Amino acid sequence: MRKTKLAVALVAVSTLALSGCQGVFGGSDKSGSDGPITLGMAAPMSGSSSAIGPYMKNGAQLAIDEINAKGGVLGRKLKLNVQDDACDPKTASSAANKLVAAGVTMSIGGYCSSATLPTLSVFNKANIPMIIPAANSADLVSQHLPNVFLINGTGVQQAQSAVSWLTKQKATRVALVDDSTSYSTDITKRTKADITKAGGGMKTVLHESVNAGESDYSSNVHDIVSARPDFVYWTGYYQEGGLIIRQLRQAGYKGKIMVADGSVDGKLISVAGQSTAQGVYATMTETPDTMPGAGDWIASYKKKFGAEPGPYSPQSYDAVRVAAKAMKDAKSTDGKKIEAALMKIDGFPLFSGKLKFTADHTLTEGGFVILQVKGTKFTLADDLKN
Amino acid sequence: MTQIIWNGLFVGSFYALVALGYSMVYGIMKLLNFAHGDLYMLGAFIGFALLTSFSGFTATLSLVALLVVLLLSMVGTGLAGVAIERIAYRPLRSAPRLSLLITAVGASFALEYGMRIIAGPNPQVYPVRLGGSSVHVLGARIGVAQLVLIGVAIALMVTLNAMVMRSRQGRAMRAIALDPVAARLMGVDVNRVIAMAFFIGSALAGAAGVMAGSYYGSINFLMGFIIGLKAFTAAVIGGIGSFKGAMLGGVVLGLLESFGTHFLGGQWRDVFAFAFLILFLTVRPTGLLGERVTERV
Repeated sequence: MRKTKLAVALVAVSTLALSGCQGVFGGSDKSGSDGPITLGMAAPMSGSSSAIGPYMKNGAQLAIDEINAKGGVLGRKLKLNVQDDACDPKTASSAANKLVAAGVTMSIGGYCSSATLPTLSVFNKANIPMIIPAANSADLVSQHLPNVFLINGTGVQQAQSAVSWLTKQKATRVALVDDSTSYSTDITKRTKADITKAGGGMKTVLHESVNAGESDYSSNVHDIVSARPDFVYWTGYYQEGGLIIRQLRQAGYKGKIMVADGSVDGKLISVAGQSTAQGVYATMTETPDTMPGAGDWIASYKKKFGAEPGPYSPQSYDAVRVAAKAMKDAKSTDGKKIEAALMKIDGFPLFSGKLKFTADHTLTEGGFVILQVKGTKFTLADDLKN
Repeated sequence: MTQIIWNGLFVGSFYALVALGYSMVYGIMKLLNFAHGDLYMLGAFIGFALLTSFSGFTATLSLVALLVVLLLSMVGTGLAGVAIERIAYRPLRSAPRLSLLITAVGASFALEYGMRIIAGPNPQVYPVRLGGSSVHVLGARIGVAQLVLIGVAIALMVTLNAMVMRSRQGRAMRAIALDPVAARLMGVDVNRVIAMAFFIGSALAGAAGVMAGSYYGSINFLMGFIIGLKAFTAAVIGGIGSFKGAMLGGVVLGLLESFGTHFLGGQWRDVFAFAFLILFLTVRPTGLLGERVTERV
């Protein structure tokens, strides 16, 4: 008797839960068609990357306030719901579940690729389109989920930008150096392939991997110098990057050096030594201080938050604008319709250039610029736009 | 070729300095002091703090100031080593070996993350950088700073060796290594000698830390982890417990890494070095200069 009761209760509960879910999944329109449209953001507010979370949150908030001041989207106001993902896969998937439960219409978060990866299927099941502003691993789009869109350049674009700069600089013998992590080797492998494709007297003379976390790279540096390159491209992080640059120069290397976005940090210059680091190039996603024509934007950001914008503030700002644009075009908050509208966007102006998604849901072009060390800072050397 | 050998020797001398402390403590207490690598980190940070606070002087007196800072940091890390021994190891000396091993791991984490609270997670950059001119010897490019550092390392090792082999304290250390109970019966102050061994071993690691900081330039709270592992490896290659073995082991490991990188590429370096280690130990489990010790009951 008790058993049957339990079974009945279970069935009742599960039906309730199911209908509850449906309410969340399909019914966010019905439940409050005049209420605000919520955009969800999972971003690191604690943990090792906690500095980035507030930058992203503020960037998104700025766009939301601007859009709301102009009357919102589909006659409704926008609202931001930020959950901490701590740059940790487990925390991130529970953050994504919280956002789904809160009935967000779209997701505009994602900084750490490893933490963003498990959230993809959570949002996909709930039919929530994602515009990922920062995370840029190629793994994010390799599953070809219909709801996942990246507006930061990936390793593909970074390698392309690197090679187009190498070509512009008339490099002939290129040495590629990575730190054996998947992100870093992804860029070196793609760069190597692109160099082969580009041809024209340019070739990869060495592909070297180092172990991160050490101090002495003299044996690697010896290998590099022995290969007699005229351009060295380092794709790891700034600490090892600084040491390698210094040790390369100490070993008598006179050619050019370029680093990838993981090394773009003031610490690279201080670790390498300011005089040693001068003239080092970098491939980097656009940051507020290297974006042409971002002056007004920076001013309004500062006015609102009383602080400078940081990395991925502009990308988060753009993610909200793209989300709003897609909902307007779709005239709906239904996930499938928004996804279709996103694919139709052509030429929408972002900080990184004109937006059009590829079949892989990544940027068609741009996103990367070339910086150069001058004094104690990275300054814009070339925006690769011509 | 000479360049590869030189690179290996240079890295190896750092490994050797750190390995000495490992070997010394193991020889006397049969304890793997996992916090040893973190004393190297501590030395680097003490040197960093001293150099930053005296930055007025260091600009003019670069090398002399650096030597003074080196000595002060050695005293600082030496005392820290003694404190760790007093707090974390001495109360457990009669406890099972495993408990002692775990407190060593604990001391290591406490040092690492304590330093993270104090100095922050980001790498710090040394205010004084050794660099400058280099000389060419047989086709190898050798930095003057490297020569100075190797000179300091050799001087420290020779002093230590002389001390252990000649002085009364050194004899007491060797006596405890052989048989702590008998040594105590003969009137050796075991606690004092062990504290002394910790002081010397830690000071050497601290010296290596300051030297690495001033040569490579970048220090962070986890920098002791990898070098600790490498130094431990070096101590095992040389025969743990043997002073000369630790020095030799450090140099051998440095050379292995250097040649591994050259012949197989950077990604294969550790595979090469450690595969060699496994092979070597299967043939000679006691290491290069280790003696077979019968287990005491």
